[in-house]
Amino acid sequence: MHSCPKSGSAGEHRPHVTNSDPGKQKEMSSFWRRHRFWMAPTLFILPGALLFGIVIIMASIQTVWVSFFDWDGVSEMRWVGLSNYAQLIDDPQFYVSLKNNLIWLAMFMLAPPLGLALALLLNQPIRGMRIMKSLFFVPLVLASLTVGVVFTWVYDPSFGLLSLISGYFGATAPALLSDEHFVTFAVVVAALWPQTAFCLVLFLAGLNNLSEDLIGAGRVDGARGWPMLWHVVLPQLREVSFIALAVTVIGALRSFDMVAVMTSGGPFGSSTVLAYQMYEQSIFSYRFGYGAAIATVLFVIMAVFIAWYLRTLLKPEREAL
Amino acid sequence: MAVKDLTSLIKSASSSRRQFMIGAGTALAGMALSCPALGQSKELTIISNIGNAGQREVLQRLASEYEKAGGVKVTINNMDHEAHKTAIRSYLVVGAPDLCFWFSGNRMKAFVKRDLFDDISDLFERENYKSVLGPSTAAVTVDGKQYGLPLGGLLWGLFYRKDVFAEKGWTAPKTIKDLLTLGEQAKSAGMIPVSMGTKEMWPAAGWFDHMNLRINGLDRHMALMDGQMSYTDDALKPVFDTWEELIKAEMFSPNHTSFGWEQAAAALAQKKAAMMDLAGFIKYGFPEDQVDQIAFAPFPEITSGMARYEDFALNSIHVPKNAKNKQGARDFLAYFYKPENLSAFLETESAVPPRSDCPPSKDPLVNAAVESLKTVAATAQYYDRDTDPDMAQEGLKGFQEFMVKPERREQVLARLEATRKRVFKV
Repeated sequence: MHSCPKSGSAGEHRPHVTNSDPGKQKEMSSFWRRHRFWMAPTLFILPGALLFGIVIIMASIQTVWVSFFDWDGVSEMRWVGLSNYAQLIDDPQFYVSLKNNLIWLAMFMLAPPLGLALALLLNQPIRGMRIMKSLFFVPLVLASLTVGVVFTWVYDPSFGLLSLISGYFGATAPALLSDEHFVTFAVVVAALWPQTAFCLVLFLAGLNNLSEDLIGAGRVDGARGWPMLWHVVLPQLREVSFIALAVTVIGALRSFDMVAVMTSGGPFGSSTVLAYQMYEQSIFSYRFGYGAAIATVLFVIMAVFIAWYLRTLLKPEREAL
Repeated sequence: MAVKDLTSLIKSASSSRRQFMIGAGTALAGMALSCPALGQSKELTIISNIGNAGQREVLQRLASEYEKAGGVKVTINNMDHEAHKTAIRSYLVVGAPDLCFWFSGNRMKAFVKRDLFDDISDLFERENYKSVLGPSTAAVTVDGKQYGLPLGGLLWGLFYRKDVFAEKGWTAPKTIKDLLTLGEQAKSAGMIPVSMGTKEMWPAAGWFDHMNLRINGLDRHMALMDGQMSYTDDALKPVFDTWEELIKAEMFSPNHTSFGWEQAAAALAQKKAAMMDLAGFIKYGFPEDQVDQIAFAPFPEITSGMARYEDFALNSIHVPKNAKNKQGARDFLAYFYKPENLSAFLETESAVPPRSDCPPSKDPLVNAAVESLKTVAATAQYYDRDTDPDMAQEGLKGFQEFMVKPERREQVLARLEATRKRVFKV
């Protein structure tokens, strides 16, 4: 790789070789010249493609393959066909997980608008706003496990912040993480905190790239406040919003760490999501085939979303061509 | 050859000299065996799952002493206790150490069945362990062969504070009626009768174990654990009836699913609760200067006349089948398992030594357990150690749900029964 092609001066560009063998040098450079149109991009893509192929594609195919077996992770794999999927359909826990995933998805949809609202608020040229901004970034810096532990303490019925606050008002805070109806909502609220901060960062970056001309033109036409936001600012944030939305949906579907650290899926499995159930079945119950079947279902759900995402993403690009 | 002569010598020795002879014999055997093994690997790796710092130190000390004496390089890799439970399944297959810590009974059997633990019956024979281990040999035996050495035993039962009970004039409950009466007294004193934290679920399963052992006895309990008895069997009805009665009488900590045993033990230490169901490691929940206030009482009697069966969980140490230095591992075990070394190792976790010839413990909690064990007819280990891991996972969840929603008993038991049928293929 001593001759990386540079843009522009392609014709004059000669590989820099210290070895002084003009014949060989000529031969190499002509070989390179003839083939670099496909070789350069291939070489650049190769490491990533290899990694993606092994870590993502191979692993996914293998997961689907394992889902047709009865396997405890150690001994012989036994082919059972679709039996794991049949069991999944009869498993009440599966529907609890699915329902919780939907709750995650619905509640996570709050993250982009909240992030946008905060971004608009923090984008004011006021003294001290930088400190405010960095304070809002804090949850992004924290590991999600830390966020989980902190919120577990906040929710604790005996010494938590929540019970202290409601004690101040003379009320008793419910033990959110012990209640099968509230527990998922409580976990999602904790997860929303860093997610909102993430959307906030995206929107802040988007707001910095707004076209001054368009805003100026809008002002001339008398747009202020809400119409300005709706008709001038938001259309320019279209791509950013799209990314924020996609990241949020994927974040909601693959939610695992918060559930693991805050509730371990409990009480009695009522806060389990698909990703956590997969982990629990494979690791604690030694049912790798069953876990793989859950993973496959999750994969299909995500694939549907990703297909829609790519379609929407590629459409304007194709139209632009 | 030397080994054989030594064992016969030991056997003929009088019992008072035996302890010395085992020690000396081990050293000699180690020397005799290491002579032809000079060309062999002089390295030994141990994977430990020990969480308690004091105990880790003892293991490290024993290892470095062994290193100096025998010239074998001993490497100890420490792992987080919970993470180790999942890691062991991969490292036993690829990259096995020479020794690893695990749990005896069904959890050990799971690996024996998959041919991942080495048969160390020869070491049992060589060191004559059966004569000092007594019934705990059974915990590491599958089909008449031994696959590990039992370590510290945890005797489960109720714990309370001496000073609180003395101040209120309470006595430890002998029967379930006493427990209910004590519960009423505790509640009127503003205390939680039985402190329990079920975030990690197993404390609820332990409570089930104790009640089932008191009502149905060991044989039927083990039949249930082995999947031979149905979860919808009528024999279990009184267990859940009694349990429901206790739950409805508000005997357990409110919101117990939001915290683990540590917080529950702290409630006992802070005199917010009257009793707690645990094993000797309860002392970690107490400030050091108050540990001597902890007292032990067996779980109360329910069916009168039922022999006393208890949960007595034994940890263990094993040689993986794929270990590189199996002979070295055996020699280290023989050294590690010497009474003085073993008791030093177990002292830190208040566990009951499995060997009958260990020097008496200075820990009152250990002595209370040893004393109490004398009247125990036979023992189980613990719900999630006695039954299949897949079954245990559903069971733990089910018992936790029952403790919160006793009205869902039918659904919970039906679910457990479905899992039993699937796991045990009945």
